Amino acid sequence: METKAENYASELKERRWLSNKSFEITLTKPKNFRYIPGQWIRLSHHAVERDYTLVSAPTDPHLALCIRNIEQGFLSAGLSNAPVGSHFNFNGPHGYFTYRPSPRPAVFVATGTGLAPFVSMARSGVTGFLLLHGVNSTEDLYYAAVFKSAAKQYVPCISEADRSSGEYFQGRVSDYLRKILAPGPYDFYLCGRGEMIRDVTFLVDEKFSGSLIFTETFY
Amino acid sequence: MKIYTGTGDRGKTSLFSGQRISKTDDRIEAYGDMDELNSIIGALVASLGPEYSDPVEELQQIQTDLFAISALLATTPDSPSMDTIAGVGQDHIEFLEKSIDRMVDALPELKGFILPGGHSTAAWAHMARTVCRRTERRIVRFLDASFKMQAPDSYQRSLIYINRLSDYLFVAARYCNHLFDTPEKLWQK
Repeated sequence: METKAENYASELKERRWLSNKSFEITLTKPKNFRYIPGQWIRLSHHAVERDYTLVSAPTDPHLALCIRNIEQGFLSAGLSNAPVGSHFNFNGPHGYFTYRPSPRPAVFVATGTGLAPFVSMARSGVTGFLLLHGVNSTEDLYYAAVFKSAAKQYVPCISEADRSSGEYFQGRVSDYLRKILAPGPYDFYLCGRGEMIRDVTFLVDEKFSGSLIFTETFY
Repeated sequence: MKIYTGTGDRGKTSLFSGQRISKTDDRIEAYGDMDELNSIIGALVASLGPEYSDPVEELQQIQTDLFAISALLATTPDSPSMDTIAGVGQDHIEFLEKSIDRMVDALPELKGFILPGGHSTAAWAHMARTVCRRTERRIVRFLDASFKMQAPDSYQRSLIYINRLSDYLFVAARYCNHLFDTPEKLWQK
């Protein structure tokens, strides 16, 4: 399916806090807006623009975005307290970070809110993947329920000192790939910090030859 | 936004369809030359300036088409990524042919070999033409090595487009000299 980016107007319907720092907002879905899970929109509000990947499924009646509230963030601060009914403009959909079924097992790797495209994919019916999610604390695992049935395995990777139990992998996502995942060809989908994408890419070159890599960098 | 990822620091790069391949691969050489060609056309656009809006718009359409061909070259034909790649169609080739015919109608008859150059815009068009020819050779090398004589239609159409584009750029060079009232210098033995 090909999608063409255009300008749309939307309205804030709801804001749901997921943790101390992150929240999901729901926006009205313009009538002719179509997108593929994994695509992003450029949201503008009071002349400030920011790019956000949709976490909703294309069949949902609304659009949803996951936002991390960054102090002095260009738009996130405004979004964290904008009243319901506020008007937003956006342009989209953009991007090619979409799921492409293949005979190879899919490995989704995310750091922080880089989980967003995988949330949309899981909500859209993509199943059977291994998901590695690198976070600083268990507080950031707010989408675990979404992946419970969709993922073959959901492995939170927590690098902070006071991690608690064997429920989580202790270390970085790249440590998991290096130590646990069996060699072989996979389809890797990487979304998150540039450092993670670089480290995992080199690891794939070394240990998982014949694999495909699709990436989206989140800053 | 940072533009560097560092994933190419060890001599490999990623295709749009996900494969990791050496930066010396024929495919990378081919779309590297596409990039060079597109940049030189950009220099031609810049040297024309915005007051020549018709040729500028035409050249910018060609730059857009070159991006589409580059995306195609960065995608393996058996990949599901191919679904999102449009490439160029017969209409894009006809667009070039019509433009060539239109420019030729406005030009004096060609009476011999022309020394590449003249007005600076014509010189850029000649540079673009020669890089376009090299790009074509690289694409042929890549297609021969990868598909023998069985390259998918989308690749074949791209090759036709690039072949036609070098004709277009030759005529565009002459047209630029005509536009800026600069005489063409014929080759004298």
